[in-house]
Amino acid sequence: MEFDFGPVITYFPTLLKGLGVGSLVAVAVAFLSVVGGLVVAVISIYINKVVSWPLRFFIWLFMTTPLLLQLYFLYFGLGEWILIPAILVGILGLGFHYMAYNADIFIATIKSVSGGQYEASRSIGFGHVATIFYIIVPQAFIRAIPQLGNNMILMVKDTSVLSAIGVAELVHASQYAISVTFRPFEFFIVIALLYYVINIFMELGQAWLERQTAYRR
Amino acid sequence: MDFNLMVEVTPLLIEAAWVTIDVSARSMFFGFFVACGLVFLQSFRFAPIRWFARGYISVVRGTPYFVQLLLVFYGGPSIGVRLDPITCGVFVGAFNIGAYMSEAIRGSIESVDSGQTEAARSVGFGKVQTMVSIVLPQAAPLMIRSVGVLAIVLVKNSSLVSIISVVELTYQAQRLIGSTYKPLEIFTLSALMYIVIVYAVMGIIELAYRRATRYTTQ
Amino acid sequence: MKTEHQTDTPMVEIRNVHKRFGDLEVLKGIDLTVNRGKIVSIIGPSGSGKSTLLRSVNHLEVIDQGEILLDGVQVNRPDMNGLAFERHINHIRQNMGMVFQHFNLFPHLSTIDNVTLGPRKLKGMDKKIARELGMELLDRVGLAEKAEVFPNHLSGGQKQRVAIARALAMQPKVMLFDEATSALDPELVEEVNRVMRGLAEEHMTMLIVTHEMTFARDVSDWTMFMDGGVVVEECAPEKLFSNPDQERTCNFLRKHLGDNH
Repeated sequence: MEFDFGPVITYFPTLLKGLGVGSLVAVAVAFLSVVGGLVVAVISIYINKVVSWPLRFFIWLFMTTPLLLQLYFLYFGLGEWILIPAILVGILGLGFHYMAYNADIFIATIKSVSGGQYEASRSIGFGHVATIFYIIVPQAFIRAIPQLGNNMILMVKDTSVLSAIGVAELVHASQYAISVTFRPFEFFIVIALLYYVINIFMELGQAWLERQTAYRR
Repeated sequence: MDFNLMVEVTPLLIEAAWVTIDVSARSMFFGFFVACGLVFLQSFRFAPIRWFARGYISVVRGTPYFVQLLLVFYGGPSIGVRLDPITCGVFVGAFNIGAYMSEAIRGSIESVDSGQTEAARSVGFGKVQTMVSIVLPQAAPLMIRSVGVLAIVLVKNSSLVSIISVVELTYQAQRLIGSTYKPLEIFTLSALMYIVIVYAVMGIIELAYRRATRYTTQ
Repeated sequence: MKTEHQTDTPMVEIRNVHKRFGDLEVLKGIDLTVNRGKIVSIIGPSGSGKSTLLRSVNHLEVIDQGEILLDGVQVNRPDMNGLAFERHINHIRQNMGMVFQHFNLFPHLSTIDNVTLGPRKLKGMDKKIARELGMELLDRVGLAEKAEVFPNHLSGGQKQRVAIARALAMQPKVMLFDEATSALDPELVEEVNRVMRGLAEEHMTMLIVTHEMTFARDVSDWTMFMDGGVVVEECAPEKLFSNPDQERTCNFLRKHLGDNH
């Protein structure tokens, strides 16, 4: 049992590149899943049943089946029709998965904004749509922040799964290095450590964001 | 939709679904003991023991389950830990979910009003008896709910053991998609099986929850 | 400290008790003796330390200095630790009945089980006998017909009466009441007071922390006025409520008794 972290240092630039790709994916997924989740939630609450029912089915389906299965489906399914790069499949797959989870949160927080808020807004003269956009949604968004934060922290960890469909993120970036250096333990320890550090920063960020918005809740 | 194909592959997927159930159930079982151990360690007076438990929970929750799985399966042999894929899946799953579960258990115990402990202690109950007769029965409903959520997470996480070549539902689905080029059919079937498993787990949780909350309805 | 009411043997003795929460000293050397069969009320503004004192008697608060004795046995034992103290305090507490402001009934147990849990588990009482005792006590607080009901279906006054029955089930030497009626709606206060008066008639030793001045005056053998962690004045209720020696007592009573004084 002797450890040699030399190869990890040698291949550290490769790992950093993977980290960069992973971060890019995470940012894109965060944007897609939060904005998409909000849109899905608003539509499924305020638009008629014909539109909202399929959306709720989508949320339900993505929440009850594993991410990896969804990724395989998208990867092979989309591959049938068009040639798209793995990274795009990864962003869409992870994005849809967390879009469903975020939509579920937004639906709950939109419903938690009291009917009194709606009435008050209408009484000033805001219309139905204006009330939703200026009064209901902003409040629902702020209330959703703690849970959105949790989801985004989970999501960042799940970017590692994208290596399974060939997205060149951190885990995937280490594969070649491991196959030539035979040092899986050292590489995976360092990868875990990198994720742990990112996780700590995200938790600090989440706590900060919650403090910043607490007075508006 | 190619229904003939779907009928043909169903037995293969059902067989794989049993592996998913088996790995999840065993992870859950051992994970529960890991969780109880972690809760117990955190009640120690001796601070370093508490730090160890807190540190373990923090690291496990702060790193991806996927990376933990790869670390133990591929990295394990370097430190003399050689596990076959299924055993590796079960134990990494157990030690992973155990960290989350210990937080769920601790949270539900702490949710019981401190007045309950005071009242029990004022009657003369000891610490252990107060915990067993008063606190745990009241913590049970919340505990069942939050541990139940984790059981469902565990079932979905079990798909990741396909990466270390355990032939469970997702592994089989991926292989069949690759060989039949019918992603929609295979996905529909395997998704359906996950849904059945998840709903079965939810049913069990609901039954346990009702049992634990009988007193509120009487 | 004046202790003229000490005509009988002491049941609870509080000697020079100090307690601090961080920088704040909430009890600054309290002495009090409650004799067997006597009823002592502690009154005072909120934050005066009266609740902390009562909780210290039950060792729910750990005092920093001084000693508390129950029937001649020391409750706080700084010399003991770990399991030995645990055994000691559990035994001591079985001889004290505590009634809380917020009832603290066990919501997962029926009314009768709330009452009989202690006798069954701690005294090893036979289930049938415990039930008989429990029914007798519930009858005494006027709730025999609610035996199988769960606490969430009881009113506040009913909950507190069950809590009293639960405390009595351990056949305590003394009953401690920590603002037993302050969380109740005004119309429910009387039913609890009636039960407490009943106990007084049976010569139960009681130590009562209360906001109910009229009740304290009517039922007590001795009253103590506390403020800022010290005993300002203690004497027979007739004197304290009509002709107190201290200016602070006067001011407090004027505020809380309205135009009566």
